[in-house]
Amino acid sequence: MSTVPGMGLLRGMGLTLTRFFQPKATIKWPEQQADVAPRFRGRLQLLYDENGSLKCETCFQCAQACPVECIDMGGMDTRGRFHVHWGPAETYGERREESALRRSGRPVADEAFTRFAALDPTADDEILAAHDDDPREMLAILEEVQGVYGYLPVAALKHIARTTGAWYATVYGTATSYRHFRFEPPSVATAAPAGQGQKVAEAGYLAALDSALRFDGKAAR
Amino acid sequence: MTTPTGLGHHASEDDPRIMLDGQIGQYEQVPPYPPRTEREAEFYSLRDGEMFLNMGPQHPSTHGVLRVVLKINGENVVDLDPVLGYLHRGVEKLCENSDYHHVISQIDPLEYVSSLFMEWAPVMSFEQLLDVKVPRRAEYIRVLTGELLRVASHVLFQGWMALDLGGLAPILYSFIERDEIVEMLAALTGQRMLFNYFRIGGVNGDLNHEFMSRLGDWMSRALVQHEANIGLLNENEIFVRRMRDIGRLDGETAKRMGVSGPNIRAAGVPFDVRRAHPYSVYPELEFDIPVRGTGPAGGDSLDRYLLRLDEVRESIRIIDQCLHNMPDGPVMARLPRLMRPRPGRAWAAVESPRGLFGTYVISDGTDQPFRMKIHDPSFVHLQLVGMLMKNNLIADTMAVMASLDPVMGGIDK
Amino acid sequence: MTAISKSLGQVTTAGKVIIPLLLVILVVGPIATYLLATVAGPVIVDVLNSNLGIVRFVVAITGVLLFSIPAAFIIIYMELKVIAFMNLRIGPDRVGPKGAAHSVIAGLKVLTKEDFSPNAADRTIFTWAPVIVFLTSVMTFLVIPFGPGLVGAKLNIGVLYLFSVGGMSVVGLLLAGWSSFNKYSLLGGLRAAAQVVSYEIPLTLSVVGLILLAGTLSVDQLAANQAGWFTNWYVFRQPLGALIFFIAATAEANRTPFDLTEADSEIVAGFATEYSGMRFGFLFFAEYVNVFIISALMTTFFFGAWNAPFPFPHLTVALDPGSLGIMLPIAIAVGPLLVTLALAVPFWLIRTKAPAWQALLAGFALANLLAFGAIGLLTYISWDWVAGLIWFFVKSFMFVFVFVWMRGTFPRVRVDQLMGFAWKWLLPASLLNLFVTALAIIVVKSL
Repeated sequence: MSTVPGMGLLRGMGLTLTRFFQPKATIKWPEQQADVAPRFRGRLQLLYDENGSLKCETCFQCAQACPVECIDMGGMDTRGRFHVHWGPAETYGERREESALRRSGRPVADEAFTRFAALDPTADDEILAAHDDDPREMLAILEEVQGVYGYLPVAALKHIARTTGAWYATVYGTATSYRHFRFEPPSVATAAPAGQGQKVAEAGYLAALDSALRFDGKAAR
Repeated sequence: MTTPTGLGHHASEDDPRIMLDGQIGQYEQVPPYPPRTEREAEFYSLRDGEMFLNMGPQHPSTHGVLRVVLKINGENVVDLDPVLGYLHRGVEKLCENSDYHHVISQIDPLEYVSSLFMEWAPVMSFEQLLDVKVPRRAEYIRVLTGELLRVASHVLFQGWMALDLGGLAPILYSFIERDEIVEMLAALTGQRMLFNYFRIGGVNGDLNHEFMSRLGDWMSRALVQHEANIGLLNENEIFVRRMRDIGRLDGETAKRMGVSGPNIRAAGVPFDVRRAHPYSVYPELEFDIPVRGTGPAGGDSLDRYLLRLDEVRESIRIIDQCLHNMPDGPVMARLPRLMRPRPGRAWAAVESPRGLFGTYVISDGTDQPFRMKIHDPSFVHLQLVGMLMKNNLIADTMAVMASLDPVMGGIDK
Repeated sequence: MTAISKSLGQVTTAGKVIIPLLLVILVVGPIATYLLATVAGPVIVDVLNSNLGIVRFVVAITGVLLFSIPAAFIIIYMELKVIAFMNLRIGPDRVGPKGAAHSVIAGLKVLTKEDFSPNAADRTIFTWAPVIVFLTSVMTFLVIPFGPGLVGAKLNIGVLYLFSVGGMSVVGLLLAGWSSFNKYSLLGGLRAAAQVVSYEIPLTLSVVGLILLAGTLSVDQLAANQAGWFTNWYVFRQPLGALIFFIAATAEANRTPFDLTEADSEIVAGFATEYSGMRFGFLFFAEYVNVFIISALMTTFFFGAWNAPFPFPHLTVALDPGSLGIMLPIAIAVGPLLVTLALAVPFWLIRTKAPAWQALLAGFALANLLAFGAIGLLTYISWDWVAGLIWFFVKSFMFVFVFVWMRGTFPRVRVDQLMGFAWKWLLPASLLNLFVTALAIIVVKSL
């Protein structure tokens, strides 16, 4: 405090008066946009390339890294097959709740098993036990599991992920990067024309989704 | 039938929304349950002329969602009772059910004003568990960014302090100053608030051109700008008179209550984790530990306020040294992709802008921590509130609380 | 006929209503005016003349009420913008040019909001308290001289009236705080009572010295006493009184740093916590009207009221346009054109590449500027009250700016320091001021 009473007050008023004439720090949004650093991450969204198609390569790295498990993927691949694992964006809310429950340590019914035909995991368990539940031998495990079922059911992948401790995204990523893995029973006609197959597959997927979510045919239109 | 109160609609005894004639003019019984402890029974019994004033959780100056029940006699606060838990998110449990990498982003929003320090402590304890050697460049970058954020946090404190005393201008100046630092860190880390930058064994990315140019720009005028901004308050008679001689805390009490950080240094005890339990590269750096309130009566709110301003200058000194001593090399140690530390336990503490922030981690050999205890300084400091605010005026409760600088995110965890 | 009906057919629906109305007005208007001027006019003038006091009062009240709302709007906008600029913000900039209509829209918004009152509030008092607060503020305007002769009521006890009416506002604040059935409101109301009552004493005493000097209680006379050079202003004869008045008036109007009654960081919003809608609007407007009033009082008492800071030469400009005869219509028709052309020529000569219309436009703008400047100067010279009004508002709004400036800078004082300051410092200082003034008067008279 200064010796003369009131001088501190006057000095403060002097400062505010100089600020009165200085250039302002705020901007007129949205006419002016903020100066954002190139590294700024901001909002999560999928990017499109110049042709208008998604840049996302479905590598699942984002889903793998997400700590609250809110990212997941589903959709068609280029051969008209669908590999939906958790469902469309509309059900993310439910997914998050389920994730929260799972993290709380309580047992949660895994909807993937109910939706995609649960299967008897004894054969899987034997294979996994033979490999000592080691995620580094994933390729061998997957090949042997395909040998048992003839294809890789989603339930089996889930089971492998849970037992080995590897992320489901990792297991799925491993499986999709090799051409000799199949995700449908061999009886399904995969040789149908691409567009036609896609429609059939989509209809099947939507029916499965509807029944799972009990939306009575109103979902995902 | 309309009620005599002229409510204009049908009042019925079944409708809980409508207050009946007999009930009008009566306050609800506090608390709604019979007292459970002796302290509660004592607190919730009113003497003549006293009344309760429920401050918060939506009160303008409770720094988040703290609720304080004040027992007042006129303008005097006779007694008070802080009520916590409005922001509880279960961060410890979230961390225990996350991967070691994911803990960093789970704990990040714990205390949103200085989130880099929230990352620093768990990352250090994980490094102890995994026996990882952090590259020196990464350590320097951690110190650099941490001290930048300490400046930002203390500067923001100054603004909040003034706002709680009714001054409008300083909070805006503080935010402008903080915004420069935060934008700078956004250029480095990609986010403005929850940086998620520290990694086990290093940091997420090396210093880039954008960050360095912004930092150089800021360093050239940081001290001048800071001095100009504090000139608005430090010499202001109204401000100084309101802060002086309220909320006195002496060193012995501070030690006994487990106070740390600027609050204990303003009570005359030169305790700083950076010097007392050195970590990172702080032993190599030159800086002083400002101490105030060394007299027998201890320090008051003004001391706590001024001490944080001293720390800003020291932090700027440290940043300057970091920039001059910054070694070359990698910013991340080589680590296994899947982290499964051996069973064991580790404690690591850092000096956050609010005090000693530490994490105690127990590993059971899986890829998730078995137990993770978080020690937050704000929570410890909040137990001083009852002691320091008692027998003051209502207006002083704000000055005392703001001078302790609590952040509710850290308190409620 | 067909042409008219055809063109009428092209007119929009609104036009079909407006055009006949216009025709009717064109016909009826002159007749009505004629009748009013010849038949009813003298009667009305007689009635008004015989009740001049009442007429003056009604006109003054209407004028003051009409003036208080835009004054409050201007001050609210000023506060928003000035504090924003001092905080390095842009401030309101969306509604109107530079956000100028922001406060007006805010006022309209307040009007459309629900008029909520708490269940347990004392309904009658809760409703009428804002009215009391607003009315006491507005009533103070009545004796403030805005210019020579521009005063609502020439009371010979004007100063007394000012303080008594101004002191009444605390009743409204106390009632508002008490009737809201809210502890924060109650605290705010009680703080208001304590604060206003305490500061009323130094406020009044600081002016007593002034009254001793002037020997009158009439505000109008006080203003007239300060004519001539600015050294005649009372601030130079009563500097301590002016300072005390300034501080006490700030507290009286509940402005920062004495805005304890609505200290948002302590008691949420004080007495206004439970108010919403136009009732809150009244409290809000009253606050800003009070700011203008204390600025106006500062100006009136200590800073020369409506007098210019220098003695103004009273020129009587002998303009007799009628003497020009036939040249007058010619000058009116040709003059502006010639001036515009004359002013456009230099622009055109300096920047030969610019198109001629741009030079013409610049010349036209300059000519307008000159014309308005000349008219303004003429009115300023010719009519005392225009000059007085201008000076009064310039000075008053300078003080308004100071109050806003203080709000942008200072924190709030504590309640015990506030009371201590009033009783321990301001009251002795104002008494000292009074005694010194009285002594000086006695000494000067005895010499």
